[in-house]
Amino acid sequence: MNRQEFEARNREEWQSFEADLEIAEKGKAGPGEVSLPSRFRKICYDLSLAQYRMFGHQICDRLNGLAIRGYRLIHRKRGGFGEATVDFVLRTFPQTVRREWRLFALVSLVFWLPFFVMWGLGEREIQWVQAFLGAEQMASIEQMYGKDSDTAEHLREEHGSNFMMFAFYIQNNVGIDFRIFAGGIFFGIGTLFYLLFNGLYFGAVIAYVEYVGEPELLWSFVAGHSSFELLGFLVVGMAGLKIGLALLSPGQLSRAEALSKAGREALPLLIGGAAMTVLAAVVEGFWSAQAVATKLKYAVGITFWLLHGFYFTSVGRGTAWSLRK
Amino acid sequence: MSVAEQRIDTLQRVELAEGIEIHLRAAGPFLRLVAYLIDLLVELALLAVLGLIINVAFPVLGENVGQAFYLLAVFVIWWFYHVIFELSPWGATVGKRAFGMRVVNEAGGAVTMGQSMIRNFIRGVECVLPFVPLIAFFNPRFQRLGDLAAGSLVVYSRPRKDPIVPGPPPLNAIPVNVTLTREEEAAILSFRYRSGSWSAARQVELANHLSGLTGETGPKGVTRVLGMAHWLEEQR
Repeated sequence: MNRQEFEARNREEWQSFEADLEIAEKGKAGPGEVSLPSRFRKICYDLSLAQYRMFGHQICDRLNGLAIRGYRLIHRKRGGFGEATVDFVLRTFPQTVRREWRLFALVSLVFWLPFFVMWGLGEREIQWVQAFLGAEQMASIEQMYGKDSDTAEHLREEHGSNFMMFAFYIQNNVGIDFRIFAGGIFFGIGTLFYLLFNGLYFGAVIAYVEYVGEPELLWSFVAGHSSFELLGFLVVGMAGLKIGLALLSPGQLSRAEALSKAGREALPLLIGGAAMTVLAAVVEGFWSAQAVATKLKYAVGITFWLLHGFYFTSVGRGTAWSLRK
Repeated sequence: MSVAEQRIDTLQRVELAEGIEIHLRAAGPFLRLVAYLIDLLVELALLAVLGLIINVAFPVLGENVGQAFYLLAVFVIWWFYHVIFELSPWGATVGKRAFGMRVVNEAGGAVTMGQSMIRNFIRGVECVLPFVPLIAFFNPRFQRLGDLAAGSLVVYSRPRKDPIVPGPPPLNAIPVNVTLTREEEAAILSFRYRSGSWSAARQVELANHLSGLTGETGPKGVTRVLGMAHWLEEQR
C-alpha cells in the first residue's frame, strides 16, 4: 500500500474523527462520542504505520496532531475536586509536613533564632532594634501600639474596613509566601533570606513595642492569627528549601531531574502553607482587631496553636483514608 | 518521521501507553518572550478595566470595599493570570495562544494546577537575574527552571505551515534496480515532494549526492531522481 492508497482509504475516517473530537473538546455530547476511544486506537495504529513507512511529514504531522488531541481528551481528569481537597487536608498535607520534619526543624531554626536574638538584644541595647527598623517603621509602630493608641480598634468602626484589611493581608502575605517559595530556585538563598529577615523583623517589632508602647495591644492583636501565619510561613519556607536543596545536592539524579522531583514533593507544602496564610488573613481581618476582652483573644490564640500541634502530629496517621487508594 | 539517530530538529519524541510515539514541537525562548510581553500587556489592561469598574461602582460599595476588591483583583491577576489560562481548554495564555503554543506536561497532556503554579511562580524570581531564563537555550526541550521544577514544557499545538511544493511532474518512471532501505526510499520521495520550493542550484546540489545511484550529475541527475521517485510511488 503506498501513500496515496493509505490516504484515500482512511481520509474519511480521519475527518470524522477530527470532527467528533472538536465536538467533544467543547464539552458537548455528539453522536460519535461513544466510539471515540476505539477510533482513537485506530488513529494510533495509523500513526505508527505512517511513521514506520515514512509516508511523509504531512500525513505524519496530521496523525500526530490527532493522536495528541485524542490522548488529551481521553486521559483528561475531571471533577473530584471536593474529594481531592478533603484528601489533601486530612492526609497529604500533614503527612508531607511530618515526612519533612528535618526541613521543618531547619526553617524553624532559621526563623526563631534571629527572632529571639533580636528580641533579647532589644531588651539590652535598643539601638540595635532602632537601627534595624528605621525611623518610618518606628513611627508607624508607635502609632499602632503606642502608649495611648487603639487605632486598630478605632479604624474597624468604618464600613467595610474588615474586608479591606482581609484583602490587603491576602494580597501582601500570600504574595510573600509565593516569593518565599520561588526564592528557593537560587539554591535556597532567597528562601533563607526571607525567613531570616522576617525573624529579625518580628523580633525587632516586639522589642520596640516593649520599649515604647503597650505590648498588650500587640499581643492581643496577633494572638488569634499567629499560629496560622507563622506556621504557614514556615511551611512555605520548607517548600522553597526543598527546591533549593535539590539544586545544591541532587544526589544520584541530574540537577534537572532532582529539581523536577523536588517540585512534585514541595507542591503540598506550597499549597498547604499558602492556604494557612489565607486562613490567617481571615482571622486577622475579621477577628484580631475586634473589640473583645484580651483574655478571650489569648484563649483563642492558644487554642489555635494547640489545634495546629494536634493537626500536624496526629491527623492522617490512621488507616481510614488509606483504604481508598 | 524519525530518520536518523542524530537529530537536528526540535521534535520531542514521547512514547504513550497506547504504544505509539508522538512528536511534540517544543517552542523556543524568543517567541515565548514575546508571548510573555503580550501577556504582561493583557494583565495591565485587565487591571485598568477592573480599576475603572471599581471606580464607577465605589460610591455604591463604599471606599473600603472598593479598595478591597481592587487588592484582591491585583492578587489574582498578578499570581494566577497564567495559571487560570493554562488550566482552561486553551491550555495557554492569550500571548501563547496567539503563537499557537500550549503548556503541556512531559507526555503532552494538560498540566495540573500545581504544575502551573510552580512554573509561573518561579518565573518571577527567575527574571530577577535576567540571564537565568536563558538556561532554556541549553535544554533540548527549551525548559526554563520553572518548567524543570514543574515537569512542563511549551509546545506548538497547531500543525506546521510547511506547504508541500512538489517538483515538476516527471516525464518517465525510472526503475530503481537496487534494494533501498525505508529511510533511503523516504528521502527520495520527499525530494520529489519538496523540490518545488528549492532553487535549481539547490536541487542539483542535493541530487549530486545520489550520483552513485543515478549515474548522472547536474540537472540530468535531478530529472533521474524525480523519475525514480515516480517509479517508487506509482509504478512498482
